[in-house]
Amino acid sequence: MKPGFSLDLARPSRRHWLGYLLLAPAVLLIGLIIVYPLIVSVDISFQNVTIARLDQARRPFTTANYERLFTSPDFWNAAWITLKLVVIVSLFCFLLGLGTALLVNNKFKGQSLARLLVALPWAVPEVIAVVIFAWMFDSSFGLMNWIFIKLGFIDTTVNWFSSPAAAFMVVCVTMIWKGYPFVSIMMLAGLQSIPEDFYNAARVDGANTWQRLVNITIPSLMPILGVTLVLVMLWVFRDFSIIYVLTGGGPLKATQTLSIMTYEQAFGFFKMGYASAIGVITLIVCIIASRLMMGRAPDNI
Amino acid sequence: MKRSLLHSTILYAAVIVACALLVFPIYWLFITAISPPDQLRVLPPRFWPEIPRWDVFGAVMRDRPILLWLGNSALAAIGSVILSMTVSVLAGYSLSRFRVRGGQSLGLFILTAKMLPATLLVIPLFGIFRTLDLIGSLWSIVLAHATLIIPFTTWMLKGYFDTIPRELEQAAMVDGCSPLGAMARVILPVSTPGLAATALYGFVLSWSDYAYARTFLTNAQTNWTANLGITTMKGEYISNWGDISAASILVALPVLVIYLFLERYLVGGLTAGAEK
Repeated sequence: MKPGFSLDLARPSRRHWLGYLLLAPAVLLIGLIIVYPLIVSVDISFQNVTIARLDQARRPFTTANYERLFTSPDFWNAAWITLKLVVIVSLFCFLLGLGTALLVNNKFKGQSLARLLVALPWAVPEVIAVVIFAWMFDSSFGLMNWIFIKLGFIDTTVNWFSSPAAAFMVVCVTMIWKGYPFVSIMMLAGLQSIPEDFYNAARVDGANTWQRLVNITIPSLMPILGVTLVLVMLWVFRDFSIIYVLTGGGPLKATQTLSIMTYEQAFGFFKMGYASAIGVITLIVCIIASRLMMGRAPDNI
Repeated sequence: MKRSLLHSTILYAAVIVACALLVFPIYWLFITAISPPDQLRVLPPRFWPEIPRWDVFGAVMRDRPILLWLGNSALAAIGSVILSMTVSVLAGYSLSRFRVRGGQSLGLFILTAKMLPATLLVIPLFGIFRTLDLIGSLWSIVLAHATLIIPFTTWMLKGYFDTIPRELEQAAMVDGCSPLGAMARVILPVSTPGLAATALYGFVLSWSDYAYARTFLTNAQTNWTANLGITTMKGEYISNWGDISAASILVALPVLVIYLFLERYLVGGLTAGAEK
């Protein structure tokens, strides 16, 4: 760095140029690998493209992909599956995550070890989580069949991956196990930011445990609760790896979410234009959801 | 506050049961790996093998190209972290310290980019990488993973720099440092914990990816990442769960170790560290 150049930038009137300079590499890179591809996506969603190559001539503009999409039962089925999955998985992630956070937020010996353990699944890569649950739900020697028979829920071994309802349940269980630690991590951070004084004051006033939970803990957690909820829902909404590796979207499209459908159309049938149209719809939903939470988002998430 | 004996017994019991239930799947993966194959397909299942098979990790590394896959994952992760950190340290600092026009909306855009569905971005990237002849090459993964990492790292670093008092670099500039010099000599050293946590988180994001590897690397087996390799083992006609579990542990281990370091940053928030 030449001294004259730096001195120049040190002058208050020029300082903002340094700001732009530092931002430039990121803007350039984001432009090349995120914004440009997004524009390409939207562009090919309006073309009848099979295999995307950018050096080919542009196909004529058409809205056929979107028309086909909205009249396709597969699309509505995938939207319904996605909605079901988002609601069920987010709900259980919340109950489990909040429950464990409240539990390990108590003071006890081994507290830090317990916190380390309950958040552990967060660190397990999704594909590895799938390996674990695919084996636990194995049709003949899986642990789950044995447990469920012992508990009397089922009479004989279930082939979890050939029944639509069972496969959907396995996907839910895997996603909940992988997803709840994020909720408990966030909730713990929220719980620890509540001043102890609030509780002491409430105790002096004679509030019991339940009243303290309802009147102090839950309201104080509300902002972080909202953000976490949106983040978890978006994660379930967009997830590809868990479902694709676990069931591939089957059986009978029982676990085919919008993400899986997008991927199947693009790389299974090479209908890139049609797939992009589904992807664009997904993106619009994501943007609306993230806009809703934007105003409340803490900086560090 | 003192707790009654009953109260603490219930508390400990609840904690132990919760931990046991939630960590059990990881334990089961481990047990599956070290059980001899003929003890896996038995009912009732064994919760501890009679003769643990500790050599399974060595065996699976000999039988399968696990080390090659792990190496590829490491190369991709290190490459994409270096790329992402380079641009996002500068950008995060700029967003934290300067009032640049459009900075606000860039920040919002970056936040939105975290919401991008991988299955959408993967389509145009596939087209772009085909045109550039990068399909099958680890470079495609380095670039694709940067799309996952940059939104996170930029935002985390901006937040981290926000917690560092401006007086620090103002003092350095009074002492004759240039703005860039003040950043490099004062702010970056103070930020080491934040930089490390952010970089490690980026590493985890890249290491855990499946979607991009599945799409861009399938035709060059020698360039497979570990996650992609594992799924091909699962897909075999009769899955050899012992080998898959052993390989899975090898793949999960690096991120589990990183998690042990990252945990306190996550729970304590990324806010501490500047005062030291």
